[in-house]
Amino acid sequence: MPSEKNDLHRGTLDMLILKVVASGPLHGYAIAQRLNQISKDYFQVPQGSLYPALHRLEEREWLDAEWKDTSTGREAKFYTLTTKGKKQLEAEVLGWERLSDAVSLILRTAD
Amino acid sequence: MRWLRRLGHKPLVEKRLDSELHFHLEQQIADYIASGLSPAEARRRANLEFGSVEGFKEECREARWENQLDIFIRDFRFALRGLLKDRRFAFVSIFALALAIGASTAMFSVVDNALFEPFPYKDQKRLVVVHIRDLDKTEDYRSFFTMPEIEEIRKQNNVFEDSAGNQQDDVVQMGTDTNLRLDGNFVTPGSLDFLGVPALLGRSLADGDYQPGAPPVFVLRYKTWQGKFNSDPGAIGKTFTLNGVARTLVGVMSPRFAWGGADLWIPCSYEAAQTLTSGQFDKYWGFVARLKSGVSVNEASAEMTLIAKRLATLNPKDYPKHFDANVENFGHAVVPQQFRNSLYLFLVAVSLLLLIGCGNVANLLLARATTRQKEFAVRAALGAGRHRLIRQLLVESLLLALGGALLGVLFAWAGVRVLSTSMPDSTVASETVIEMNPPVLVFALAIGVGTIFIFGLVPALRASRCDLQDSLRDAGKGLSGTGSHARLRNSVIVLEVALSLTLLFTAGLFIRSFLALSHVPLGFGIDHVLNARLPLPPNRYKTSAQIAAFYRPLLERLKSVPGVTSAATSSSFPPDDCCPSEIEITGKAHEQKPTATVQLSSEDYFQVLRIPFIEGRTFLADEVNDARKVAVINQTFRSRYFRNENPIGQRVHLKLMETLPDPVPNAWFEIVGVVADAKNHRLENPNDPEVWFPYTVYPRPAWALLVRTVNDPAKMVEAVGKEVWATDPGVAMADPQPLERILDGSLLAQPRFGLWLVTVFSTIGLILVTIGVYSVMAYSTSRQTHEFGIRMALGAEAGDVLGMVLRKGTKLLLGGIGIGLVVSFAVARSIVAQLWGVSAYDLLTLVAVVVLLLLVGLAACWIPARRATRVDPVTALRYE
Repeated sequence: MPSEKNDLHRGTLDMLILKVVASGPLHGYAIAQRLNQISKDYFQVPQGSLYPALHRLEEREWLDAEWKDTSTGREAKFYTLTTKGKKQLEAEVLGWERLSDAVSLILRTAD
Repeated sequence: MRWLRRLGHKPLVEKRLDSELHFHLEQQIADYIASGLSPAEARRRANLEFGSVEGFKEECREARWENQLDIFIRDFRFALRGLLKDRRFAFVSIFALALAIGASTAMFSVVDNALFEPFPYKDQKRLVVVHIRDLDKTEDYRSFFTMPEIEEIRKQNNVFEDSAGNQQDDVVQMGTDTNLRLDGNFVTPGSLDFLGVPALLGRSLADGDYQPGAPPVFVLRYKTWQGKFNSDPGAIGKTFTLNGVARTLVGVMSPRFAWGGADLWIPCSYEAAQTLTSGQFDKYWGFVARLKSGVSVNEASAEMTLIAKRLATLNPKDYPKHFDANVENFGHAVVPQQFRNSLYLFLVAVSLLLLIGCGNVANLLLARATTRQKEFAVRAALGAGRHRLIRQLLVESLLLALGGALLGVLFAWAGVRVLSTSMPDSTVASETVIEMNPPVLVFALAIGVGTIFIFGLVPALRASRCDLQDSLRDAGKGLSGTGSHARLRNSVIVLEVALSLTLLFTAGLFIRSFLALSHVPLGFGIDHVLNARLPLPPNRYKTSAQIAAFYRPLLERLKSVPGVTSAATSSSFPPDDCCPSEIEITGKAHEQKPTATVQLSSEDYFQVLRIPFIEGRTFLADEVNDARKVAVINQTFRSRYFRNENPIGQRVHLKLMETLPDPVPNAWFEIVGVVADAKNHRLENPNDPEVWFPYTVYPRPAWALLVRTVNDPAKMVEAVGKEVWATDPGVAMADPQPLERILDGSLLAQPRFGLWLVTVFSTIGLILVTIGVYSVMAYSTSRQTHEFGIRMALGAEAGDVLGMVLRKGTKLLLGGIGIGLVVSFAVARSIVAQLWGVSAYDLLTLVAVVVLLLLVGLAACWIPARRATRVDPVTALRYE
């Protein structure tokens, strides 16, 4: 079932969103653009699935949201990282680094 | 409080969500147009990349807390609607669960209250009693001790923290124009502090009260204070004349305090206790001790055996030849062994019931889940997430569990009320309060509710993981109900039938046993007899002459009361006759020590109880008045010790009478008559040889009064009581009751209670099994509608289809009966001791039970089978 695949990505997606938003207030579209740019379109997820994730992170108070005018004069929802979110991001990055270190160590030495 | 704000602005929240997502789409489209795509192509690409807007909106909503609540309420409403649509299913599941929870909670509460927490006393778990056990007879010899023994035990032991002794005493409280008979208890120093229950009003007994020469006081039981002293707080501090001694009432004990089942407690010093009791019959004191913490009953038993052996060397005739001392928990000891076993049996029975009930619920849930497989598949195909499906089923289970639990608590409450009022007296301690037991209730609820969740969830998990295509193709068209669900359901039914058979068989044995017991010929007439104990104050009635001076005029007076035909006194009354004695008969040598039960009575005893004479005659009035040593024997005595000889005129030596305090010298009695046998060793046992002689021969202060009346003896209590008062105002009748009622209470109440309970349990079991069989058969035939349609279209007769269904049902029933027989025999073997007059493998009971179960089971199959035969082939083939 597709939802199981999402489950796998959920934690990673959350971490990436937090990382992107850490650079300053961004609206959803900008976050999506940024993710695509940085990952060079590596993640083939429907763009819409970003929004449930954003709402979830807002609900957990890792992100804060505010409606503001964009540079083009339209109103959009801007997300910023909260202190709680910053801590969560640090924890997740640390965990991720440990995991990837361990995985690459095994890949290098298990021959 | 963000969510609260959002809750209040739901439309705004929706609008914002909408504009957020559309902002994204429009930006994307604008970017694509800027990069050179046509507006139409830009829109198409943007929409494609974004995915389903509505789907993501829904996911966004789910991320919000207050929406979770919304979803829950929606699930709840949906589940309720579903259950209401399938009302029969919901009702049956809830009812089955409630019955099982109710019955088991009630029974477990009773057992816990009666056996494990019967007392309000301090550290009751460490309270113990000591039994001297006769190792040759593997039975208790006595659990009472003389005062010197108690003092030695207190001095020598290292296992008891403290102990207390009590001695029953019939107390007559003298009033101005009437007297009141109460059950008193003498208690040894510190007893009430030992038990650790405070007084409700006034004060408990203090150390000073037990000192020799202290002003005489007593404390009253709460129930007695309510019933006989009109709850008068002014009674405290007043002085009452009890057995001729003026005593001050110093307090009323708290409601549950009822040590020794007495009405009042009188302090007694160890010195006074030595001289208090004179006769053979009442020199023994009850003895309760509290184990030191950390000391086990086994350690205490070992030490008490050593002490008892030492005591036995000083007083060998007070002990059996081979014995040990066994220390037992007090709570356990107060409930008679027989009844304790019955209680444990009921526990097993009720556990079986709980199993059957839960099995039923599980089966219903499984059946329902199978029919809904297609529904789940459709919903999953339409995009319902796995967790949504599971959550929804859980909500449904929750509703069922809640309903079952609520009704179950109600049943349990009613059950405890019924049980506590119908339990025979004297089977549990007077202190015991039977009430609903919260931990037990939680336990039963957990089992029942757990069943619902497990069996509700298993199909849900399976359904949510299953292959959609398979389910859609297959659902609703199963052939003969194969698959693992079907196997599970069938085995549950087989198990239920087996358990039910076990319950029914046990109930059947109890019924047979009870019928046999209640039809035992007594050999004496119990109707129209009023019975009472007449305890005489020992200080004024010491010699036989004094006792005769009370009874002779009393019996004369009673005979002239209108409605009384005859009256007698005796040392005890059947079928529990007292006091075995070794005997010796002139000119006879015996291989074994011959014994006989010894009874003292007045001349009209045999007439009052309608025990016919076979040879000779009863005592003459003169023989009684002159205390002549004459005797009447029963038929068993005659046939065992005289065979074909004529016993009249022979002499029998009653050795017991020479060893008592105030012994009867040269206790040889001349036999003047032989009476037919009457039950004298409870109903269950064969008769013992018995000897009666005139009550004037030996001074015993407590006697039974037996009065034969023309009409209802219960209505004669007052008239008889008046004659007793007129003879001696210091004497009062204890427990005046029709003999019929006493016998019913002491002999049949316990087996009747057991019979009643097992019958109720097995009936509930049968109902549950019927429901179970019916639901499984109805379910499986409804699944086979398609198959039956084809068969009938191909020419099968209605009878063939009927046969198919019934054969399947019979197979399940027979499987269950087979297993049930094995279990039944195992259970029956363990209850042999509780049966009487019927074998544990009674064939008649067995056949009856099997036939009953088969008939009921087949009837439960018959209804769905009939429905299957009425299937119209065309409809059935179209029916999916």
